[in-house]
Amino acid sequence: MKELDEKLSLLLDDYADEDIDAVLDEVTADVNLQYRMRRYQMIGEVMRHELPETIDTDFHHHVMAGIKDQAQSSATTATESAAPLALVPLTARIWFRPFAGVAVAASVALVTIALWQPLQQGTDPQDGGLASADQKKIQQLGQQIQGSAVQASSRVQSDGMRWKLEKESPVLQQKLNAYLVNHTEYSNSMQGLIPQARVAGFDAQQ
Amino acid sequence: MGTNLLDAELVKRVQGGDTAAFDLLVQKYQHKVINLVGRFVSDKSECQDIAQDAFIKSFRAINSFRGDSQFYTWLYRIAANTAKNYLASRARKSPGYSVDVEDAEHFEGESGLKEYATPENLLLTDEIKATVFGAIEKLPEDLKSAITLREIDGLSYEEIAQVMDCPIGTVRSRIFRARDVIDKELRPLLE
Repeated sequence: MKELDEKLSLLLDDYADEDIDAVLDEVTADVNLQYRMRRYQMIGEVMRHELPETIDTDFHHHVMAGIKDQAQSSATTATESAAPLALVPLTARIWFRPFAGVAVAASVALVTIALWQPLQQGTDPQDGGLASADQKKIQQLGQQIQGSAVQASSRVQSDGMRWKLEKESPVLQQKLNAYLVNHTEYSNSMQGLIPQARVAGFDAQQ
Repeated sequence: MGTNLLDAELVKRVQGGDTAAFDLLVQKYQHKVINLVGRFVSDKSECQDIAQDAFIKSFRAINSFRGDSQFYTWLYRIAANTAKNYLASRARKSPGYSVDVEDAEHFEGESGLKEYATPENLLLTDEIKATVFGAIEKLPEDLKSAITLREIDGLSYEEIAQVMDCPIGTVRSRIFRARDVIDKELRPLLE
C-alpha cells in the first residue's frame, strides 16, 4: 500500500511516467485512493494559501450528479421526440388511409387480372371461360394478396361454367361480377359463350 | 509546476467515456476554479454553483479540447466565461420583487441558492489550515525543506536535488514521506 501511496505522490507531481496508466486504473477504481490524492493536493493548496474560504467536501459529487442529470434528461428528450407510432392512434395517421385504399384497389386488380387472363389466352371450352382459370395462378394470387386489407382467397371449381368465391368477400364478389360482365361483353374471345347471349352475371353459389 | 502528463491522460480517458477520470479532474481543480469565480462574483454561495456549472460545461465540451493548451488553461476560460455570463444575466434581470418585513426572516433570496458559508464549513477550513501548518512545523528539516521547495517554490525534483545536494530518488522519497505524515493528521478531519 505504501508503494501505491508513493506512486500517488509521483502522479500528483507528474513523475509517474511509466506507471501512469496502472496507477490511474487503481485510483479511478478505489474511492479511498481518490480521497488520499485529494488530501495530497489539499496540502499544497493550504501551503500556497489557495484554499477557498469555505470548502464543500461534496462539491465533486454535485458536479457528477449534475452531469448525470443532464445526460438522463437528454436521453429522455430524445426518446420523447421519437414517440413510437404504436402510441399514435391509427385514425391520426393520416398517411395510412390512402395507403389502405391503394392496397384494396391493388388487391382487386390483381384478382381480376388473374382470373381474366385465361379468357384472353384461350382456355379449354369444356371448362368454361372463367372456370378454366388456372387454379395454380389463383392460389399464387391468393398468397400475394394474403396480407391485404381485403381477403381475396378464392377457390375455383372447374365444374362446368361456374366458379365461386368463398363467402369471405361478398363485396369483392360483386365487384368481380361487374367487372367480368363488362369485360365479357367487350371481349374478343367467344369461347364457351353463345354469341347472341349476354352474360348477366356470374352467380356464386351461396 | 506542470501537470501536463496527468491532465493529458485524464482528459484522454474522459474523451473515451470515463467519467471517473473527470471526477479526478474536478477534485484536482475545484478550489482553483472556485477561487477564480470568486474574483468575479462576491457571493460565496453563488461561486460554488457557478463553479459547478463551469465544470459541467467543460465536461459537455470535453471532446472539443484538442490539447493545444493545458487543460487548466482551457478550463479557466470556461469558468471565467461562465462567471461573466452569470453577471451579465443578473444585470439584465429587473429587481421586480419586494419582501414584506414579516417575510424577511424566511426570504431565501432571488435565486434560492444553497448556503455554503455555514459556520461548520468555515470552521472546517480553519481547522484544515491549522492542521496542515501544524504538521509541517513538526516535520524534520529535510522533509520540510523538500515539501516547501516543491509546493511553494514550484521546483522540479531535479532542481530540488540540486538545491538539497541529494539524489532525485531521495527527493522523491522525502516529498512522499512529508505528505504521508501530514495526511495522517489531516485524514480525520475529512473522513
